[in-house]
Amino acid sequence: MTSVTADPAPSGAGLMPKLRRSWDKHWTAWAMVVPVVLVMAVLIFYPLVNGIWLSFTDQNEANQLAEICTKSITGGEVCKENPNAWSFVGLENYINVLTGKVGEFWQWTGTTLIWTVAGVTFHYGLGLGLAVMIHREMRLRGLYRVLLVLPWAVPAFISAFAWKFLFNERLGLVNSVLNSIGIDSVAWFSNKWSALFVAIITNIWLGVPFMMVALLGGLQSIPEELYESAEIDGATPWQRFRAITLPGLRPVSMTVVLLGTIWTFNMFPIIFLTTEGQPAGQTEILVTGAFRAAFEGIRNYSLASTYGVLILSILLIFSVFYRRALRKQGEVW
Amino acid sequence: MAQMTTTPPVTAVPATSGPARINKPRRGRRSVGASIALHGTLILASLIAVGPIAWVVLSSFKPGYAVQSTEVTLFKDPTLANYRYVLFETSFPTWFLNSVIVASLTMVVGIFFSATTGYALSRFNFPGRRSLMLVFLITQMFPVSILIVPIYTIMANLGLINTLPALMIAYLTIAVPFCAWMLKGYFDSIPTSLDEAASLDGCGPFRTFWRVILPLARPAIAVTGFYAFLTAWGEVAYASAFTQTDDKFTLAYGLQQFVPQFNAQWEYLTAAAVLVTIPAGIVFLFAQKHLVSGLTAGGTKG
Amino acid sequence: MRRITKGIAALASVTLAFSIAACGGDKKEESTGAAKVDPASLSAELTWWDTSDAKNEGPAFKELITKFNQTYPKVKINYQSVPFGDAQNKFKTAAQAKTGAPDILRAEVAWVPEFASLGHLYALDGSDLLADESDYLEAPLASNKFDGKTYGVPQVTDSLALLYNKELVEKAGVTVPKTWAELKTAAQTIKSKTGTDGLYVNAAGYFTLPFMYGEGGDVVDTASKKITVNSEQNVAGLKIAKDLIDSGASVKPSATDSYGTMMTLFKEKKVAFIINGPWEVNNIKTAPAFGGVENLGIAPVPAGSAKAAAPIGGHNYVIWSGVPQEKAPAAVEFVKFLNSAESQAFLADKLGLLPTRKSAYEIDSVKNNAVVSAFKPVAEAAASRPWIPEGGQFFGPLDQMATEVLIQNKDPKAALDAVAQKYKAEVVPAYSAS
Repeated sequence: MTSVTADPAPSGAGLMPKLRRSWDKHWTAWAMVVPVVLVMAVLIFYPLVNGIWLSFTDQNEANQLAEICTKSITGGEVCKENPNAWSFVGLENYINVLTGKVGEFWQWTGTTLIWTVAGVTFHYGLGLGLAVMIHREMRLRGLYRVLLVLPWAVPAFISAFAWKFLFNERLGLVNSVLNSIGIDSVAWFSNKWSALFVAIITNIWLGVPFMMVALLGGLQSIPEELYESAEIDGATPWQRFRAITLPGLRPVSMTVVLLGTIWTFNMFPIIFLTTEGQPAGQTEILVTGAFRAAFEGIRNYSLASTYGVLILSILLIFSVFYRRALRKQGEVW
Repeated sequence: MAQMTTTPPVTAVPATSGPARINKPRRGRRSVGASIALHGTLILASLIAVGPIAWVVLSSFKPGYAVQSTEVTLFKDPTLANYRYVLFETSFPTWFLNSVIVASLTMVVGIFFSATTGYALSRFNFPGRRSLMLVFLITQMFPVSILIVPIYTIMANLGLINTLPALMIAYLTIAVPFCAWMLKGYFDSIPTSLDEAASLDGCGPFRTFWRVILPLARPAIAVTGFYAFLTAWGEVAYASAFTQTDDKFTLAYGLQQFVPQFNAQWEYLTAAAVLVTIPAGIVFLFAQKHLVSGLTAGGTKG
Repeated sequence: MRRITKGIAALASVTLAFSIAACGGDKKEESTGAAKVDPASLSAELTWWDTSDAKNEGPAFKELITKFNQTYPKVKINYQSVPFGDAQNKFKTAAQAKTGAPDILRAEVAWVPEFASLGHLYALDGSDLLADESDYLEAPLASNKFDGKTYGVPQVTDSLALLYNKELVEKAGVTVPKTWAELKTAAQTIKSKTGTDGLYVNAAGYFTLPFMYGEGGDVVDTASKKITVNSEQNVAGLKIAKDLIDSGASVKPSATDSYGTMMTLFKEKKVAFIINGPWEVNNIKTAPAFGGVENLGIAPVPAGSAKAAAPIGGHNYVIWSGVPQEKAPAAVEFVKFLNSAESQAFLADKLGLLPTRKSAYEIDSVKNNAVVSAFKPVAEAAASRPWIPEGGQFFGPLDQMATEVLIQNKDPKAALDAVAQKYKAEVVPAYSAS
């Protein structure tokens, strides 16, 4: 329900008057977005564009300088030309990564997809369910809301440690509970799937409160009267949910699912700290794999950027399809 | 673009709703069985949500040797020593203050900028509108870890290294895109008839936004504000890169001092984590009060 | 040597191609840095990033600063404790931007060649700091050398040793093992006689090195620029480690937090032998269930068919190359003080850190320190690691290999071949694979 109307088709008028008219018409809107655009441009966009350029070079921490200087504490400085100064390499980084010559791109992507789909599905499903429940008037609503939101309030790295401890093979609470009911200890992190399971559980636990709160906010935009009239018309709760709640939540859902997917895809700390990529790197996702490949020891900027661009491309493609899918149902963005 | 969103039209309302029913509790209409199921589910969910945190809390009262032990216990030689150490023998109070400053500023400034941006995106079809929304998305797609070194260089050129504004600005770049998207979606659901009415009353676009639309968007502002706050509250990577002295550390980063190369001090880490979580919980307590329907409460029928 | 704790350390980067400041040009002429400085009038403000344990080790370093200021009242030291997990990237990021890096850093041994190769450190040759170079133990000093120059001085050295629970060993009536084979029988005997597990082999790359060194292997040969990680010797070494686990002599290690599990079990007397370094001694000493330092036995790592050797570790003091020349004398004096034989003895006494100076071992308090004396032969026998800028990157693939072989039962040869391939592709492409 926006007031936007399509711009009038450009007439054949000259450029200046057109700009002038455009300015007169849109200056308010531009004034409202310009601070954000500026900060974004300086801090994110410029490094991002630079990152894309870097992915076509072989630049790393060691070869980025044209000469390497050694300063002596007793005074004096010796500079010598860097024997392996960086150069433009075209698509070599991409070829290396995509053919598996460097890193495990395909394995990581597969794991990332499972990780993302599982994470977002449960985040949204559980978040929606809980949001609908605690949206209602009832006793203890405030308490439930606060308790349910707590996982979000704990710094993520602490939660990651906590879950790792809980699932510790020998010293963890989970195995000790299993033992007490007569089940043998499970070596959670010795198998790819059980390790990934722990990571996904951790991530779900961590991410549901965000979805819940966002959707709870969205629920407020649905007029109560709609439910009441539907009830009077004899609609079942499920019908009300389908016909009123879900459509009413559409703008919020669209945003949180889209951004939730992007964030989960790039979610670093859980894998990095909870499974540490174990066993033997099998639970590595793209961001953590790229981090370990490019940033341990001499930092490999070009390789990191290559992964960055690949991640960006995957997510862009996803966004395009997502948008197309939503478009069939109405306005998107 | 000009197509209506599928938000249910408000006009469906009048015929059936009595004037006194606005946003009134519907509790009375729930059967006992439904009530039990509802509370049962919520209690279970709360237990799951609180479980691992309870473990953190219990650990925070244990002496160091008992946090990770072959004997898995809930209580073991309970002590307040961990809290005493964290509060009085580390720079925790300073970190705390820094975090409060950075998180609150991120929240306030973030909401302000996202709200104006979101409003512009929702109401004006200006050139660059769609690409701006896409650009916001793209900024979230490039992994943060890859951006830290260049952002550090930019901050260094701006003379902002080891200052709190550097952190605030960095957190805004994380928070604003989401908040702007979120608010745009919410503004979309506020009928444009309100804007038009306001403009007929002689309000300019800024006034309309400030006096009419913003108050109606309270739930969304609460959500995005809380999000912005938590983003700044728990972030580690930027804080680790941009702050360098104890007096500028934020909580989340300061806590890393309890995890040295060997011999991690879990007992302090857990105690500090509890102390970090409480304020965030309190902020949510306030934020959730605003999670009431802005639309009906504000009376859109006028 | 990246071990265990990683902090969150999500630091990363892409750099700006044009941020390169031309650094040729203004070359100051050689001034004699060894000129005598007057302690009372020397004035400067220095920042020191200490990466040691803020709680347990930090206070001792602060005490040293107070002592330093008694002689050098006008040199102000800004002590900053920096979490170890992200100090490496934090320093590089700041040094590269030429803003915000500390004047002095406590750097892990593997970092020094890396930082030096990037031009982030002052070469200390010719300064007072190296005037008594011969006093330093050779192996710890070696980690500071890169390309013919010396970029740091060793603060502390360490290496892995066989740590054991005396009570359990005596109860089972076994002697302290000198070879892996003896360790196997000893551990099995303990298990059968006392019911307690005999050994915990930590499934991490660094901790598999003693097995490989023992058979005469190494990861690379820097002299001939060869990748030797998949040599027959290393395969044999890993088979020994694997056999310890398969035969039940060792507990089956877990894939995550294997280190923490090992330490918890050891501290609670649930395992008799572990392989670990001096940094844990304090921890073990204070664990209420262990029985104090009297119950802790320390012996060199068991030998393989070739020798007994463990990798060397430790930390060095380095000076950032961005420190203005006029502050350099103060920085030198401070590091000199921090690393004097007396200071090292003080730290050995307080924290159990192993001195890197021969003369420090002559000081009575060090001589009488049971732990330090027990570790001295261990440190002296420690095997030098390849001190090349890429040195830190060897451990990622090794860690993965350790999990594959020791936990997932992958064939050692195949796993090591994969490591060699990764080294060739990603770590040291200039080296030849065998």
